[in-house]
Amino acid sequence: MKRDRGWPVRLLGRIPLHAIVVAIALLWMVPTVGLLVSSFRPAAQVAVTGWWTAFQTPFQFTLDNYQAVLTQNGMARSFVNSLIISVPGTILPLLVAGLAAYAFAWMKFPGREVLFTIVVALLVVPIQTTLIPVLRLLADAKLVGTFPGIWLAHTAYGLPLAVYLLRNFFATLPRELIESAYLDGASHLRVFFRMILPLSVPAVASLALFQFLWVWNDLLVALVYLQIPSRAPMTLTINNLVNSFGTEWQLLTAAAFVSMILPLIVFIALQRYFVEGLVTGSVKG
Amino acid sequence: MAAVRFEHVTKTFGKVVAVRDLSLEVAHGEFVALVGPSGCGKTTVLRLLAGLEELQEGAIYIGERLVNNVPPRDRDVAMVFQSYALYPHMSVFDNMAFGLTLRKMPRPEIERRVRQTARILGIEELLKRRPRQLSGGQRQRVALGRAIVREPAAFLLDEPLSNLDAKLRIQTRAEISRLHRQLGATFISVTHDQTEAMTMADRIAALNAGILQQVGTPQELYDHPVNLFVAGFIGSPAMNFFEVKVAAAGEGLLLEAGSFRVPVPRERAPALADWNGKTVILGIRPEDIHDSLFLPPGLPVSLVKAKVDVTELLGNEVLLHMLVGDKPFLARVDSRTRAKPGQEIDTAFNMSKMHVFDPASEKAIA
Repeated sequence: MKRDRGWPVRLLGRIPLHAIVVAIALLWMVPTVGLLVSSFRPAAQVAVTGWWTAFQTPFQFTLDNYQAVLTQNGMARSFVNSLIISVPGTILPLLVAGLAAYAFAWMKFPGREVLFTIVVALLVVPIQTTLIPVLRLLADAKLVGTFPGIWLAHTAYGLPLAVYLLRNFFATLPRELIESAYLDGASHLRVFFRMILPLSVPAVASLALFQFLWVWNDLLVALVYLQIPSRAPMTLTINNLVNSFGTEWQLLTAAAFVSMILPLIVFIALQRYFVEGLVTGSVKG
Repeated sequence: MAAVRFEHVTKTFGKVVAVRDLSLEVAHGEFVALVGPSGCGKTTVLRLLAGLEELQEGAIYIGERLVNNVPPRDRDVAMVFQSYALYPHMSVFDNMAFGLTLRKMPRPEIERRVRQTARILGIEELLKRRPRQLSGGQRQRVALGRAIVREPAAFLLDEPLSNLDAKLRIQTRAEISRLHRQLGATFISVTHDQTEAMTMADRIAALNAGILQQVGTPQELYDHPVNLFVAGFIGSPAMNFFEVKVAAAGEGLLLEAGSFRVPVPRERAPALADWNGKTVILGIRPEDIHDSLFLPPGLPVSLVKAKVDVTELLGNEVLLHMLVGDKPFLARVDSRTRAKPGQEIDTAFNMSKMHVFDPASEKAIA
């Protein structure tokens, strides 16, 4: 009969695996830690020594970089612009994709499968090939340089993946639940808002996270379609900092961390759904 | 005016004909059970009535209204699904109130209906709970309650007892029957369990391979099945079948199986007159085969010697798995029987209860 050898033995057995996992995690964090440390170092130090020397005496840390970033170069304004772009740029694609995904999953109409295939096939189209045609469309509609224009652009770019993921998730919901709602008197819109959405929180939340991060961190779409400095998001402003200041790395590092704060908060708030969404997707295929 | 009427309804899924030329009427307040094996089309019929499937041919009427193109929400039917389909993110109260809320019923009226129905079903104390906090039987009652509050033209039940354990099944059968009487509503129930159909329904519609085989009261289907399928499906345990030849015997007829022969009762002989010399299928229910030592008095029987293969004691009776020659059959006999496996005994066939079928068309002859 096997004896339970007790927790110390079990712990010792797990130490090698844990050590490897911790080592990999620390290795991944090195560049980010370096960036963070550099953002608190004076310009003179950043220019001549590596960030790891910051932990040697004499310790020289400063908040000047963050002060410069936040008060000069319109970074505060850019932060607001990023919010104005990202929030509708997340909600709109999810709403449109959700409604489309519901139709693909639960409504019967001619050409449904063909249309869905076409929408998903758009995933293979590189954004770069659409920049000029879409710019022309927005120009004709007088939307270049406007927030609605960039919302529309992000909505269009985000739809194929969002429709694909949401349709697959919605299709796994119990059919009888949806049919029961129809029989109770619900229209398609009611079923979508009262049944589908509440039951799809993990999928919708994890997609919202992806979409938000993608839009928040976007440079290319903003560069091409916004074109007005006062409406530039943080990515565009940081990019301009590189051009303006060339080697002022300490300002760039501080700006990078300022731009990371909100996505980090959103991720931490939604990470439970992110994990649920991943797991659900993997189990239900 | 019928509550529900199917007229020559056909439904196909690709090349598969799920329901073929179905015509059926259900009267107001009637309880009709659709029975048949898996894949026979009974659930498809229910779904066609609910509007969850589109029919290819025919017409469906609810009252006087043709509902072929009417969406499910406007058909005034309520369905209890096999899985109950309770909304997991809503409380029991909200589940039951959902349909009424969508119909913009005043809140006080919703409250009144939901609480009254909950009282009838004995689930008042569960109104604040979520479905995941309920047992199987409780969920089933909530599903029923959700249908009842809507006061629909017809209740559609899809295998209402299949998810319940045996004891709860018997209890719930009685509850559904009581509910049907209390409400006086039209019930259409789908089940693969013929016992469920026999005990709950006013009439049974037996389906096989999408085709309606027979419609009638449970007793009619039991006593006078129109074909082999209905005869074998209705009744538990199932009817025994023997391939026999009709032979003349003096002024009467005999049924010969090689290993046994039984006379045809005089009153049944005229129906078989044209079958003299031909092969037919003899059907006789296990409850019409007795241990000759323990016969109900006055029963007209014919003795058939057979070997006991297996005995199953049920307490109030014994099931004997018998072999006559190489043909197996089942007999439900008196619990006092002393028959043991391996023994040869005289079984008594009550030939007044025999059924005879044409082997080619499978239809009943006598």
